[in-house]
Amino acid sequence: MTITITNKIFNTDKLISCILDENSDVGATVCFNGFVREFSNNKHLDYMFVEHYPEMTEKSLYAIEAEAKKRWEINDVSITHRVGKIYPKDLIVSVIVASKHRNNAFQACNFIIDFLKTDAPFWKKEVSNDGSFWVNDRAEDHEKKAKWSSI
Amino acid sequence: MFFASLRESFGFNHKQIEVSKNIRTLNELLEHMSLDKESPWPDLTKNKKCYRAAINQELSSWDDNISDGDEIAFFPPITGG
Repeated sequence: MTITITNKIFNTDKLISCILDENSDVGATVCFNGFVREFSNNKHLDYMFVEHYPEMTEKSLYAIEAEAKKRWEINDVSITHRVGKIYPKDLIVSVIVASKHRNNAFQACNFIIDFLKTDAPFWKKEVSNDGSFWVNDRAEDHEKKAKWSSI
Repeated sequence: MFFASLRESFGFNHKQIEVSKNIRTLNELLEHMSLDKESPWPDLTKNKKCYRAAINQELSSWDDNISDGDEIAFFPPITGG
């Protein structure tokens, strides 16, 4: 598993190439890319500021990956998350899962991003002409995570 | 340790705290620290349902025990991804 926390723009093509170089018998990769939206509550966003708790981030992402591996047969996982100042349309997060067959990769990728959103300690602050405010958590994200407990 | 909006409220991101051994849980720590009425601690304690805590990088509940040397973090709900 590869975890990368970076304040620089990153390229998922390179990450997928690394996974293919380092693993054998990969038949599918599924890549979720999350981007910074240009508008929030109808206001144009200047940029997003992302803060994290480094030691806990790593621990929580390893725990999420371990749980995904218990549930599905997957070869490898690569998670990259931006921190610091991030501009609209920039990639903020990517989750790449490699597996022999596509269904395991689809399911595991979905599971990992659902848990990352509620358990991995990142916080987003939106900055626009009107000022700045810390983003609230969304009930929808907690509901998506909770659904996995019955699967 | 304090993150995001709590880091801004407190004005620093970490602080070493010494308390009596009678303080056994996160709840008790909050109550004790809230004696400083001029600090953000009373507000954090009053609104603790809106915040989360971690002991040694593990998400914790307010009833969880704390020990000497623990790294305790307070923060608002997580909003990554």
